[in-house]
Amino acid sequence: MHKPTTSVLAALGTLLALSTAAIAQEGPIKMGVLEDQSGDFAVATIGKVHGIELAAEEINAAGGIAGRPLELVTYDTQSDNRRYQEFMRRVLQRDKVDVVFAGFSSASREAYRPIVDQFKGLAFYNNQYEGGVCDANMIVTGAVPEQQFSTLIPYMMEKYGKNVYTIAADYNFGQISAEWVRDIVKENGGTMAGEEFIPLGVSQFSQTIQNIQKAKPDFLVTLLVGTAQASYYEQAASADVGLPMASSVNVGQGYEHKRFQPPSLANMYVTTNWIEEVDNPASKAFVEKWRAKFPDEPYINQEAENSYIAVYLYKQMVERAKSTDHDAIRKVIAEGDVCMDAPEGRVCIDPKSQHMSHTIYLAKVGEDHSISFPKVWDDIKPYWLGDVGCDLTKENPEAQYTPSDNPMKSGG
Amino acid sequence: MDVLSGLFSFLYQTGDAFAFLVLSACGLAVIFGMMGIINLAHGEFILCGAYVTTSAVQMGLPLPIAILAGALVAGLVGMLLERTIIRHLYSRPLDSIVVTWGISMIATQGTLILLGSTMPGTGTPFGSFTVGDYGYSVYRLVLMLAAVATLAVLWLIFTRTRFGILARATIQVPHIAEALGVNTSLIYSLTFGLGAALAGLCGGLYAPTMTLVPTMGAAFVVEAFVTVVVGGADIFLGTAPAAAILAVVKAGLTSWQGQLAGQIGLLVAVIVVIRILPRGLTGFILRERA
Amino acid sequence: MALRNSPIAALRLLEGPQTLGKGPGFWGGFTTIVALACLYPLFADGYDVGNNVYFFNWTFMALGLSLIWGYGGALSFGQTAFFGVAGYAYGVLTINLGDAYGLTFVSLIAAVGLSALFAGVLGYFLFFGRISGVFLGIVTLSVTLVLERFMSQTAGPEWAIGSARLNGFNGMGGMPSLTIPWPGGDIVLFPDVALYYLTLAMLVVVYLALRILVNSRFGNVLVAIRENPQRAEMLGYDIRRYQLGAFVIGSGLAGLSGVLYTAWGNYITPSSMGMSAAALPVVWVAVGGRSDLTTTLFGTLLVLAGFQYLTIYGSQYALVVMGVLLVVTILAAPSGIFITVGSLFSKGLRRRLKRESV
Repeated sequence: MHKPTTSVLAALGTLLALSTAAIAQEGPIKMGVLEDQSGDFAVATIGKVHGIELAAEEINAAGGIAGRPLELVTYDTQSDNRRYQEFMRRVLQRDKVDVVFAGFSSASREAYRPIVDQFKGLAFYNNQYEGGVCDANMIVTGAVPEQQFSTLIPYMMEKYGKNVYTIAADYNFGQISAEWVRDIVKENGGTMAGEEFIPLGVSQFSQTIQNIQKAKPDFLVTLLVGTAQASYYEQAASADVGLPMASSVNVGQGYEHKRFQPPSLANMYVTTNWIEEVDNPASKAFVEKWRAKFPDEPYINQEAENSYIAVYLYKQMVERAKSTDHDAIRKVIAEGDVCMDAPEGRVCIDPKSQHMSHTIYLAKVGEDHSISFPKVWDDIKPYWLGDVGCDLTKENPEAQYTPSDNPMKSGG
Repeated sequence: MDVLSGLFSFLYQTGDAFAFLVLSACGLAVIFGMMGIINLAHGEFILCGAYVTTSAVQMGLPLPIAILAGALVAGLVGMLLERTIIRHLYSRPLDSIVVTWGISMIATQGTLILLGSTMPGTGTPFGSFTVGDYGYSVYRLVLMLAAVATLAVLWLIFTRTRFGILARATIQVPHIAEALGVNTSLIYSLTFGLGAALAGLCGGLYAPTMTLVPTMGAAFVVEAFVTVVVGGADIFLGTAPAAAILAVVKAGLTSWQGQLAGQIGLLVAVIVVIRILPRGLTGFILRERA
Repeated sequence: MALRNSPIAALRLLEGPQTLGKGPGFWGGFTTIVALACLYPLFADGYDVGNNVYFFNWTFMALGLSLIWGYGGALSFGQTAFFGVAGYAYGVLTINLGDAYGLTFVSLIAAVGLSALFAGVLGYFLFFGRISGVFLGIVTLSVTLVLERFMSQTAGPEWAIGSARLNGFNGMGGMPSLTIPWPGGDIVLFPDVALYYLTLAMLVVVYLALRILVNSRFGNVLVAIRENPQRAEMLGYDIRRYQLGAFVIGSGLAGLSGVLYTAWGNYITPSSMGMSAAALPVVWVAVGGRSDLTTTLFGTLLVLAGFQYLTIYGSQYALVVMGVLLVVTILAAPSGIFITVGSLFSKGLRRRLKRESV
């Protein structure tokens, strides 16, 4: 479970060599890793653990963080919110880690967040999600709706038409994302041909397919989540729905284009901050490194890259703060230039929301499920939280805001 | 024309829901109705059928044979489990819940460890057709036919074959059947195997239309239980009419109020039916007859 | 009548035919265990103390299920419904009322009361409708699944009660922990030593009260119903009322678990009422031995701690090992591991085992 001792030893050797280590405390920097390696979410999350392991190995081989080796404390949370509660307490109280990388589903994040807040821990959430977490104890490296939809929806409306139909998972992520889509469609002078919410775990879509065909939209926004709901694509293809699709979750997370038989995902457009098909030298080198360490990885998804970057960002913060102390780290973030050149391009942490800017790639799935990138947007910022009044450099509300429930709406 | 296409659409939706309920429930109905075992590992037999079918197709077998292979393997696994574990639980139906839940945990996680987090699908065959404004999948019609055919074959097995007659005798009065020279132990194994094979058949039939992951069985289990409970102990007097009624309820509510209403409606229907008919439709029909 | 109900007479019911353990030996052991439990925080770190509170939280639901299923013979597969109702009720009440003046404890009582009321209504429907056996399990399971699916889609701002947003599948957070009003600053019961003692005290009280209950006339009738409902009915007992009574009390305890869990983690989620959550209490109770309160209690703690241990050290094989343990336990020890293992040493338990395996 812990890092192989050899790499720790190697790093310790480096530590001794660099007797000028700036940090007074000795011993490794401990990083808690709580991810779902079994259960329903395992498809998308095993890669996150691998990303963290890869980054930790590289960092340790290169001398650790400010001369201190990085030690991982990993637990399998089994896609179960209760395990997050148990293990978040364990890593913070027992293992006394300096930082935690945790969580796939938003529910799991909300389950552990009160515990992180209680112990004033520091947690990285490396997942794309519905946005809105304004909490100084959290750093979010995943993409949020304003980054994915403000790019995707206008592009689709221009290309295919202004009549939009949304099908979304019937829970927080789906409902809030659907609200974003609705607002952006309206802003751009379009109309909603329909909206349908699907309970999690539903796997049969005949009626939904018919509703879509009845509404005759120009394109379809699919915000389906979980392995059961992914069955939609196969069933829609066999009923010959044939509409162009837009999504913020598919391909980039669950690599449906690899798992399903072509052409069920043909003509789907996805905004993602990185996937393994991204074609630039940095990205290619990253994929190569990954495949050398994990040759059996079915797919390297955006969350895997987020997790990998996050380790390096943490390294940078600690080295600049000269400490793992959270206040010192937040002072570094407040300087506003915690940035790095990632496989996807340049990314920076926004001090107000502690979310991350991204390069957003528009991935198009072809008839044979190959990926092309018709458009790339550089440096898309997570602006929304700042706009509605979240400023973590000034105060820490430890809350999650939504488009219909935030300080701006309530007049505060 | 509009009326006709609307009517066809409703029939298609109901038939689709009916096929799903019948196929997912009949394996459970055989095991629960005939043996009194509550099989929480039902979903994992479905998983087994789906994975075997998909692998067989990828190895080049034609789909129908692959599906039968899936059913066969699931059936054999079922018989093996019956021989080793389930047979100790016949006098303790409530304990069977815990044991089969344990088996389900082993199977799901074991599949994840051995075969990885996902398996590539094979794609749905046969394409689509159009009625009025709507496109439909031909394969869904195949599923409906398969549901009806399964019921017919089961009816033949239980009324026309020696195994069926012995099975019913064994289940009703085990000690007399045994005294009359029936190998009841074998009958129990075969019955459990049949139930598992039916679950495998369901998995094989739905494999081309679904995401293949170790937890996929869960998508079937709740619906299967609901159908079996509303139906009661007998497959023909209970499960089939229950599936028909629930299909109408579900398709109606889903098209009227959306998927959530369809899901909740199904569960509320169970509570209401059990309140009115504590022994399910089977009990109701038998009482009417008597 | 007044004399029979006097507190002394009630204390005599602490031991009796329906509970394992009697005499000085048992109560000596009981006192030792309670004393050790009281001393434990002196030696353990904050994590272990808080983690034990977490384990204790679940035992109330298990004890309630033992009463309903082990003693009453009615398997409820949906105790999580009451767990969830009470958890959400606690969240809604405390978010609206705040944590001053001991209002968190008022909310605790109100939330448990609400879950008991819900159980009363549902139980009336079930037991007076003569639903029994497996069907009872399926109906209660359906109820908890309906609640789960309903709560999962309450993410929108329209789903709020007062200032408390239900917040859908992501779960409701932000409710205060239990808080004791105290001159010079309220004591907030975070998962730490103070909460440990409070929960431990509740557990001891509930355990002893249940012992009295099952050894009373009520308990004897309940066991008679489990053994043979027809016979109990012929003897003139209205079995529906006894089963309903047990169901309401057991579900109230599930509600207590729900409140304590919610206050412990400041969080409650619809998946607490889902399929896998609903199966867990059944597993805990079955492994320990459902037909006795003491074995249920220790079985629950054992399974909780064991599964957590496996998840920590077993990596991805944890779930497989858990499954194997469950299967082996039920096959090898049908009356639960404690009674089976104990029967190796005790004649009385051997007799009991024989009786139960018939």
